[in-house]
Amino acid sequence: MSKPQDVQLSTPNLADYMELPAPYNTIESQPALKEPKGSWTESNITFLDGYAGIENLVRPKTKEEEREFVEKFLSGMEKSFSDDTNRGMIMPLLLSFEYCAKCHTCSEGCHVYPASGYNELYRPIYRSEVFRRIAKKYLDKDGKLIKKWDENDPDLNWETLARLAELAYRCNLCRRCAQQCPLGLDNALLAKEIRKIFSQEMGIAPKPLHEKGTMNQLKTGSSTGMSKPAFLDVIEFIEEDIEEKTGRKIKMPIDKKGADILLIHNAGEFMAWPQNPAAFAILFEEAGLDWTLSSDILGYDSVNYGLWYDDYQAKQIGTGQFKVAKELGVNRIIIGECGHAHRASMVSMDRGATGSYYVPRESFLPLLWDLVRTGKLKFDPSKNNFPVTLHDPCNYVRSMGIVKPQREILKVIAPQFREMTPHGVDNYCCGGGGGFAIMNNLNFAEFRNTLSTRMKFKQILDAFADTIENTEIPKYICAPCSNCKGAIRDILEYYGATAKYNLQYDGLVELMVNGLASLDRPYLEFLLDEED
Amino acid sequence: MFLVIFLYIAFLAFIGFSLKKAYDFAKMPMHGRWELYPVPKEKGRGEYGGSYLEETKWYEKPRETSLVAEIIDMAKEIIFIKKLFDNQRPFWWLSYSMHLGIYAMIAWLVLLFLAVFIDSSLLNGLIALAGGAGIIMVMIGSIGLLIKRMVNPEFKMYTTGLEYFNLFFLFAVAFTGFLCFITDPMFQYGHDMMGSMLTFFPFAPSALVTLHLVLAGAVIIYIPLTKMSHYVGKFFSFHKVLWDNDPYLPGNEIAEKVAAGKSYKQKGQWSAPHYPGNQKIEN
Ligand code: SF4
Ligand code: SF4
Repeated sequence: MSKPQDVQLSTPNLADYMELPAPYNTIESQPALKEPKGSWTESNITFLDGYAGIENLVRPKTKEEEREFVEKFLSGMEKSFSDDTNRGMIMPLLLSFEYCAKCHTCSEGCHVYPASGYNELYRPIYRSEVFRRIAKKYLDKDGKLIKKWDENDPDLNWETLARLAELAYRCNLCRRCAQQCPLGLDNALLAKEIRKIFSQEMGIAPKPLHEKGTMNQLKTGSSTGMSKPAFLDVIEFIEEDIEEKTGRKIKMPIDKKGADILLIHNAGEFMAWPQNPAAFAILFEEAGLDWTLSSDILGYDSVNYGLWYDDYQAKQIGTGQFKVAKELGVNRIIIGECGHAHRASMVSMDRGATGSYYVPRESFLPLLWDLVRTGKLKFDPSKNNFPVTLHDPCNYVRSMGIVKPQREILKVIAPQFREMTPHGVDNYCCGGGGGFAIMNNLNFAEFRNTLSTRMKFKQILDAFADTIENTEIPKYICAPCSNCKGAIRDILEYYGATAKYNLQYDGLVELMVNGLASLDRPYLEFLLDEED
Repeated sequence: MFLVIFLYIAFLAFIGFSLKKAYDFAKMPMHGRWELYPVPKEKGRGEYGGSYLEETKWYEKPRETSLVAEIIDMAKEIIFIKKLFDNQRPFWWLSYSMHLGIYAMIAWLVLLFLAVFIDSSLLNGLIALAGGAGIIMVMIGSIGLLIKRMVNPEFKMYTTGLEYFNLFFLFAVAFTGFLCFITDPMFQYGHDMMGSMLTFFPFAPSALVTLHLVLAGAVIIYIPLTKMSHYVGKFFSFHKVLWDNDPYLPGNEIAEKVAAGKSYKQKGQWSAPHYPGNQKIEN
């Protein structure tokens, strides 16, 4: 890790990667990898594995700057091990830090490591071990710094830390490795703690997460930069769209005081997939729910990117969201199709940002299953008579235990539903977790599209092996999470799989609306295209 | 007599240091939720990894947990090291041999204790069996793991000097124990040691037995000071982190802890520019 920066530790090579199933089982059937180019290849770091994801991780110009960089990292590390500055995570951190038996049980649990053809850099404990060895050398057993950086330390220099920072962004934080650890240790947690040191102490984080993400959200109300007037415009557009597509006139309630439900979407849906909030509105209205959206700052975007890299940012956003709900006087918040927003709001912020702003939070999934189960929503499953598979978002499945409602719904509405292997709590990450889905900066997207999403693409192809070559049959990947959906959209585009093999994707609510008995036309775009 | 006192000290140190470790974890501030499913205590849902969050208005419904399911899961892990068995079979054989050997040695001690009060040839047979099998299993496990870590590049790369030493230390105890066992297969020295420990009547072990017991005592003191104390860590990792999914509900215990935590005044501060007060003033 401390090798000079003209040494790149590994070079991406499709031939090394895990083989994909047919029809992508040859290297020729996959897009060729690109040589990194652009001025940033000089200033940023690609000397880990040829990829870069952090814009403001730039080479120090002088020895002095290098010293400042390393010492700042060390002081951040000390804060990470302090029960004063890291109160909320000190116990889980120390357990995962202290007890690793290096038994490699977690290695096979990871999707990135086998997908890379077992590249050592991506082994779950690799980054943890680099971090551990630095910490063991510079901190005492109470987590206090015992010495300043030794410039001649063969293991610690700018290169080591720059590689470590990038390496923290080669882990999707999906926690599948932790499920397999016999000691209950969590390498995702260590990756996140490394990210935290860089962000919270050094101000170093990928732009899409920090500057364009949480900072933007705190300033404008949404990580998309969507302001209140823009939000209201989008809602108007969606209402028109609903009428055009379904013939229904729906007024989406906004800022309705005292409503039973405040529904919060990932604002990315408004921009990229407006059919999703529209589908929610159709279902909620058909079921006669008392609900509202909020146009307040932080009230119309459920995302909380702080979850992936910065506790302070996460808390500010979480508190802001709860405050909006409290002020509206709703009974409960329902989180729409966004996995990390589920976890942030219902779990991660549960002990940190509640208190006087406490409002109960629920997932949209049990609510929808209740509506299906009790017959408030009626379906004609023949409308969804094409192969459907389900992606399980790690955040609300593995980290929250919401496993069954989505399956029960699919069993009712999709006659050709088939599971991926493995699925449920044992699922593989979509490859967009931990912020990757929105990291299209520098050349990071190629890492995601070829490596971190590789296992998911394999699972998708396997799930549809019986019909993949038949382009007449649409094959639907149900991905009820904005980020997962984004990652899956990008894989399909990258491999041209929609155009070539009729692989389609969207959320759960779109499929539900498409199957509604009361609707007289298809809701899913690709079915409309077929009709034309 | 010194040996008996040393062994007492070793056992007390083991218990004391282990409890201290547990106490240090227990007194840490309440952490943010970081649960991971399956959580076995989730009644009716633990099997497939579900949770109470699968319910609408879960906060108005009674929490249903199953201690039995949790204990069964724990037992599988403690007795068989199930996760290792399922996911890393080649390593499991050696690790399990070592751990089972340690369990057998604990059983050996308990049986020796009983033998002070009960004179039974069956008991004596069991002592020979538990002691012999235990010592052999620890010996095979520790040397096997040591060799594996030394020759297999995948393991070698991650193993530190201290980790080699720990395994070697365990092997040294087991090996000297094995030598004692082959010279004294019915563990007369064990009976004498236990008798002496309970009556403080001196016993006169051979040089080999003395060496073995000194090493054994030392390793018993040493284990809780190292990461071999993972029996403590594992309890906290599972019970207090991965299976700790208790929600905040107004008035409940978590809410009280959250409220108490709010009075804490943080002394330090992170240095990134987005923290309040850290912005650089541009001239
Ligand atoms: S499974 Fe756990 S103990 Fe084993 S190497 Fe992975 S993190 Fe370490
Ligand atoms: S959290 Fe997921 S991506 Fe990260 S190391 Fe573990 S299994 Fe791999």
